[in-house]
Amino acid sequence: MNITRRFALREIDWKTLSLFLLIMMFFSVFLFLPILYVFKGALFVNGQFTLLYFALMFQDAFYRESILNSVKIGIFATILTSLISIPTALLMVRYDFPGKRILQGLLLVPLVMPPFVGAIGMKQLFARYGSVNLLLMKLNLISEPIDWFGGGFIGIIILEALHLYPYLYLNISAALANIDPTLEEQAENLGASGFRLFRTVTLPLMFPGYIAGAIIVFIWAFTDLGTPLIFEYRKALPPIIFSMVKDIWTNPMGYALTVFTLIISVSFVVAARRYAGGRSYEMLGRGHITPRVRRITGWKTPIIYAFIILMVLAAMTPQISVILTSLAEQWFLTVLPTAYSLRYYEVALTHEVTAISILNSLKYSLLSTAIDVMLGVLIGYLLARRSFPGKDILDAVAMLPLAIPGIVIAFGYVSVFTGTPIDPFYDPTLLLIISYSVRRLPYTVRAAYAGFQQTSVSLEEASLSVGASQARTLFSITIPLIMANVIAGGIMSFSAAMMEVSTSMILANREAFYPITKAIYSVNLRLGDGPYVASALGIVGTIIVTSCLLAANKLLGKSMGELFRA
Amino acid sequence: MAILVEVVLEEVTKSFGDVKAVDGISLNVNEGELFFLLGPSGCGKTTTLRLIAGFYKPEKGRILFDEKLMNNVPPNKRNVGMVFQNYALWPHMTVYDNITYGLKVRGVPANLRVKKAKEVLKIVKMEKYATRYPNQLSGGQQQRIALARALVIEPDVLLLDEPLSNLDAKLRLETREEIKRIQKELKITTIYVTHDQNEALSMADKIAVMNEGRIEQIGTPRDIYNNPANEFVAGFIGETNFIEGKIEEIIEEKSLVVIKTRTGERIYARITGKTFSRGERVLCSVRPERIRVLTDKRREDQIINLFPARIQRLTYYGFAEHYILEAMEKEIKATNFSPRASKHKEGDEVYFTFNPNDVNVFRIS
Repeated sequence: MNITRRFALREIDWKTLSLFLLIMMFFSVFLFLPILYVFKGALFVNGQFTLLYFALMFQDAFYRESILNSVKIGIFATILTSLISIPTALLMVRYDFPGKRILQGLLLVPLVMPPFVGAIGMKQLFARYGSVNLLLMKLNLISEPIDWFGGGFIGIIILEALHLYPYLYLNISAALANIDPTLEEQAENLGASGFRLFRTVTLPLMFPGYIAGAIIVFIWAFTDLGTPLIFEYRKALPPIIFSMVKDIWTNPMGYALTVFTLIISVSFVVAARRYAGGRSYEMLGRGHITPRVRRITGWKTPIIYAFIILMVLAAMTPQISVILTSLAEQWFLTVLPTAYSLRYYEVALTHEVTAISILNSLKYSLLSTAIDVMLGVLIGYLLARRSFPGKDILDAVAMLPLAIPGIVIAFGYVSVFTGTPIDPFYDPTLLLIISYSVRRLPYTVRAAYAGFQQTSVSLEEASLSVGASQARTLFSITIPLIMANVIAGGIMSFSAAMMEVSTSMILANREAFYPITKAIYSVNLRLGDGPYVASALGIVGTIIVTSCLLAANKLLGKSMGELFRA
Repeated sequence: MAILVEVVLEEVTKSFGDVKAVDGISLNVNEGELFFLLGPSGCGKTTTLRLIAGFYKPEKGRILFDEKLMNNVPPNKRNVGMVFQNYALWPHMTVYDNITYGLKVRGVPANLRVKKAKEVLKIVKMEKYATRYPNQLSGGQQQRIALARALVIEPDVLLLDEPLSNLDAKLRLETREEIKRIQKELKITTIYVTHDQNEALSMADKIAVMNEGRIEQIGTPRDIYNNPANEFVAGFIGETNFIEGKIEEIIEEKSLVVIKTRTGERIYARITGKTFSRGERVLCSVRPERIRVLTDKRREDQIINLFPARIQRLTYYGFAEHYILEAMEKEIKATNFSPRASKHKEGDEVYFTFNPNDVNVFRIS
């Protein structure tokens, strides 16, 4: 019998319980209600229960193909991401070599730019008459331009993989670093080595970490809205749902597609959890773990360097292309820009829509982060320090946003709040802030929870026992001890909010309220200097996020990877 | 000098879910006493300590400090110093800040804080370490600082939760003496939780032996060791031999009983203060060091409590030798503390004997 799970009525701590209920009310209004509305919209038309729109969805060849495309994008992007990150993580964790730290840092660069911004730059390089084709034709290697993006489908997969592999890489690295080296040494002692050792001991031990990261990659690629829009790729679920937001009151198809997206995402998460859950292992640690790090020697050296440098270059191509685009005065039908200037930065920083979008994004993200930090510390505290009926529910609910695509939340918000005082078509400020905070809450909850876990309760009890009050203990003992975690979690959720694409696209409908991401998208459509200004704006956002992430990395160190798990 | 405080628990009960961690215990800790709560893990000793500290509230019963009811007084208002098993030193504060924290909370002025911190650091012999951080100290040093932090607030009661369990064997012995010295010097009423019987026997003024949330016996170390109240205490403290039997005869004028074992031997036992009736099933407990091993029966002028045996195993420890004897269809442990004279070897046929005063008889319930 589990003692802590059983509650006699007299033992219930009413203060804790009322906090729990308040938090659940927040989630009810801003997470469950929108999802409920989406289901209602798909299943009840004119007050009648119907499955017609789901039937239509599969009968119609266009929808069928789009669904298939989206699932394919998700799966192929996950496979490609795994192919990049597993070997990279193995090399980085297990080997030591000159320049490792720099390369490690460079590998994380793709985190700082949403894939759709990268897509703007990549189009300059790889489009039909982009730099690469022009170069190859100039060298007479090809006579006809090659369609590198495969009509957008391949382009999306590549950009998703290049943007998302750090999440998986960080997860795998953390899992590998966590493996007690004696487990591998024991296997070697019994005669296993090389690939056999990897297959029988290392791989199974790191697998739960891998799955946790892979599922995030899948959901992200499967539901990313920005990249297909830049590639003008219409045959995928997110852009179709996006185009249907405006018909939300007349065409239930948008609801049905949103429900379908949600069901696929959640079932993938549930399946992955089921699979990995039974296989997560507590390491029987003996205090601290000395990782098995070897210096590379001999013939392996050039191969490893070549592999990692190739990875870094590939990963940074979108960033480099965006930087080039943003700096190009003129770049049309030439391999490289013909002239460089900073004037698009000037436009980005002064143009009405773009300048205000930077301020908007800062405002939305700061406020959503403030909510996340407060809720995160509160929920982390309740989970780590209190026992109350419903604790498991709170834990599950706080992590739920990781499994729910942004387009689903945004679609639900439009459906619930249109016509209310916080109508997104009128002033989306509040909904943007709340949607950002709901989506990124898991980061701060995890960070704060980890902080509480690492801080022994007896440190707080010691303070009480020498006479300090609860409040004094909280401020002079508990908070200073978990501060680093909370700040780091806050920075993570701030960065993510700055780069939030799907909810921004759907909820911000008037230029005065555009956040950076929506402004980039809308400016990019402008004829003439559109892509240049969009790129410059993208770089401005990237600089803000980079500085935040550097700060977080400094505070969190290795444990950063563990924040991105499903 | 601290004001001496008496701690009383009356019928105190605390459960977690359906499990009664502490089940109606009563005890009395006198002013200035070093009182031990001793028992196996899970017996409720730490829960009792935390009830006294105020981290748990009792469901039933009363906790009194000098006749003042403490049940609803929060931990920070009890003026209790506590040393935690893991020391719980705040890693973000220096030794000095750790120690003066409680004084600051109480609004003690800065100059007095410095003075008191110096005094207490001197008591624990850590004067040189005031500016260090906890992670720059060894386990033993951290333990001293944790003690200093609890002492500096001049607590009415000092609570120690397995304070030595994280130290190595040698340091543990030294620190035992150290804590005893400080406690006697400051004369603070102290309650000390441990599962280590040697710690309890060697340091305590009084010991409460706990098991499954109840107190089995309270007494001085000598009491507990020599006159265990029941089978649990006899078995938990020190080593013993249990022999089952039935009361065959009662010799009242000598307060002796004769117990017939299952294998037919007769054991004579002195039973001061206890009464038994004929035919009652009992358990005899005899400590190994009370058993003498004899080479041959005629050399000893004794007719009672003399039994034949065979030496099954003999282990030499230098200061003593331990026998495992085969007798009464079981294994009997015996210890000889002057092994120099012994000429025995494994397999020898011998006799063993013990004094009726050294037999503890318990009713089998």
